[in-house]
Amino acid sequence: MKLITHNMLTSKCLKGVMTGYPLAINATDIKVTEVDFNPEFITRVIPKLDWEVLWAAANSIGHGEGLPKTLEPKYEENEDLLKKLHRVLLEVEVEEGNLTCPESGRQFPISKGIPNMLLTEAEVQ
Amino acid sequence: MNDENKSLRKRKRFAARLKSSKGILCTETPGKYVVLCNAGQATGLEKDYIFKLIKEKELDIPLPKFIAEKGESHSFLVFPTSEDCKLFYDTFNDKAKADENGTPLYMTFVETVPNTEVICQHENPKGLHLLNNFITSEEEKIFLKLFDWNPETNNLKNRLVRHYGYEFRYGSNDVDLNNPLIEKIPNECEVLWKRLSELGFDVGVPDQLTVNKYQPGQGIPSHVDRHSPFEGTILSLSLGSDVVMDWKHHSGKYVPVLIPTRSLLIMQDEARYDWQHGIQPRTWDPVIDHRLENGRNIKVITSDTIQRQTRISLTFRWTRSGPCQCTYKTLCDSVEKASPDNLEDKLASNLEELHVHQVYEQIAGHFSTTRHKPWPKVVQFMQGVVPGSVVLDLGCGNGKNILRRNDIVQIAGERSSGLLAECKEHIRGISGADCVRLDLLNTTLRDETADVVICIAVIHHFSSPARRLQSITTINRLLRKGGRALITVWAKDQTKSNYLLKSKQDQLNETEPETQVTVAGVNLPVHENRTQFKHQDLLVPWKLRKVNENKLSSQPDNTLLRYYHVFEENELDDLCKEANFIIEDSFYEEGNWCVVCKKK
Ligand SMILES: [Zn+2]
Repeated sequence: MKLITHNMLTSKCLKGVMTGYPLAINATDIKVTEVDFNPEFITRVIPKLDWEVLWAAANSIGHGEGLPKTLEPKYEENEDLLKKLHRVLLEVEVEEGNLTCPESGRQFPISKGIPNMLLTEAEVQ
Repeated sequence: MNDENKSLRKRKRFAARLKSSKGILCTETPGKYVVLCNAGQATGLEKDYIFKLIKEKELDIPLPKFIAEKGESHSFLVFPTSEDCKLFYDTFNDKAKADENGTPLYMTFVETVPNTEVICQHENPKGLHLLNNFITSEEEKIFLKLFDWNPETNNLKNRLVRHYGYEFRYGSNDVDLNNPLIEKIPNECEVLWKRLSELGFDVGVPDQLTVNKYQPGQGIPSHVDRHSPFEGTILSLSLGSDVVMDWKHHSGKYVPVLIPTRSLLIMQDEARYDWQHGIQPRTWDPVIDHRLENGRNIKVITSDTIQRQTRISLTFRWTRSGPCQCTYKTLCDSVEKASPDNLEDKLASNLEELHVHQVYEQIAGHFSTTRHKPWPKVVQFMQGVVPGSVVLDLGCGNGKNILRRNDIVQIAGERSSGLLAECKEHIRGISGADCVRLDLLNTTLRDETADVVICIAVIHHFSSPARRLQSITTINRLLRKGGRALITVWAKDQTKSNYLLKSKQDQLNETEPETQVTVAGVNLPVHENRTQFKHQDLLVPWKLRKVNENKLSSQPDNTLLRYYHVFEENELDDLCKEANFIIEDSFYEEGNWCVVCKKK
């Protein structure tokens, strides 16, 4: 699971859960794979993400170094920052671990890089 | 000396490979495990060959467990003790032949072996009683003599069948009570009822018997014995061969059960009414182990296999008339007849579990070999996606519609874990792509995060209008304002596609009654593949044929039934409008209705 995906996951469907966002990450295995740097892509994707959630998620798995808590304007001119973002968004992947709903504590396992977000019928509102 | 060096180098290279690929360490210290370095599934090695070696040399050791992973040219043996293992090693290392060319088989001890075992998570169905050694070998011989017959007698697609008392009518899955057969259940069977009653099963005497003969490789699709024509107890006596029977429940439970020869299987309660059972068309079965772990009895499906023999099964039933009185709704044919247009949500979901989700899990590996090409229209749509967009592919299957583009985010969501594992493999190297296991109806994704959603050949698997609408409403909810979706579904009208087979359409005998299956109180017709659809809600057979399973040569059909709601013209458009979409484009392509729509 990439952090780009984590940024969009929610457990709001759960019975009694109001926002279910963001899910806490507990990673037991993290993989880093090098991929080609594409600054334009990163620049375009940033506005689509919840920055604070990304920042907290990156820190929670030990890859938040050098990321500012609030995003400066004109971040697209800061190549150093774009490189760090490139790494944290595209190169870092949680292979094993789980995600936890902030309200209910329901855990979603991540296995072989795939988070299992399936819910049973009884859990859904 | 030179040869010895060569052999040593060879072993070292192998050990390094094994360590890096599997994390398994080779060792010189004899233990219980040995790896055959140059013989495995990919080289055509079968465990019988190993057993033959041991027998020929008259080694006084128990037969080892054989682990041969698919596609590997090495394999592993597990012996009960390190002494047995060492004796095998000393006798055959560099001496036995690895193949027909006479290449010597070389091996080395290993510290561990790959774990290819699957732990079965669920308990046996309630009401399933298996009485092992119910008849003696002598009695088995008598029964075999009585019920084995010439292949010419009768023919049912892939097995042979005979009836006593009443004829079991395949198709309608019942009997005609007005037409009893002259041949009654043979008197030789009386011993069975007596023995059952002695064991405390007071079931009386059945009046209908169906005898099936299965050759190795033959199976029977998952089914429930129809409720209303038969009472609450069904018996099955096995002769001639062990077999593994798969049990499936609409809650998603899946339990394989070993049915030994000479055993009597009693199906009552849940097992009789609420589970489907079937036999996979294989020439072999996995060996199922029972172990005690943390004080709990667990069932383990091992990687070891056992050859099937010809099996004769005797199914005894008690006929009855009138509507079924059971309390299990999902598979009952007597619940108040529902129509697919007003299917209760819970039942709709059960139907989809049995006839969509479980089917896709089973055909995952097979599916990908046939569905590896994306449709041109989908590719065209995906190529038009603006760089920097966030794309969701909902119901992505094996990921064939994920483009090798690194300038967009592509999140592939799928319910089947088997298909998703293949999707994960497929998207390797696409930097902005990722996988999530999710359900389209209860999507665990945030609202208004996607610029584009594609949902290809998914919505026709939802079995009620409310669920189909809900799926499209969800797509709408996930999109940002102005975001677009491409949605495709199977069309009822197949005349303009190459799905239809002219010859097959002509052959169709219009007077022949359709096969129907009752699920969730709905009678669903089973579709004849490659012909025009006659109904909107139906089951479409998926014929499993093994493609790359070296172990099997010719493979008969194992038919899995997939539920479809095939769409009429404009039906998809209307749903999209109801979900508050603006239709931008709507077209028919190769048997599918396709809509491109935009969020207001
Ligand atoms: Zn019933």
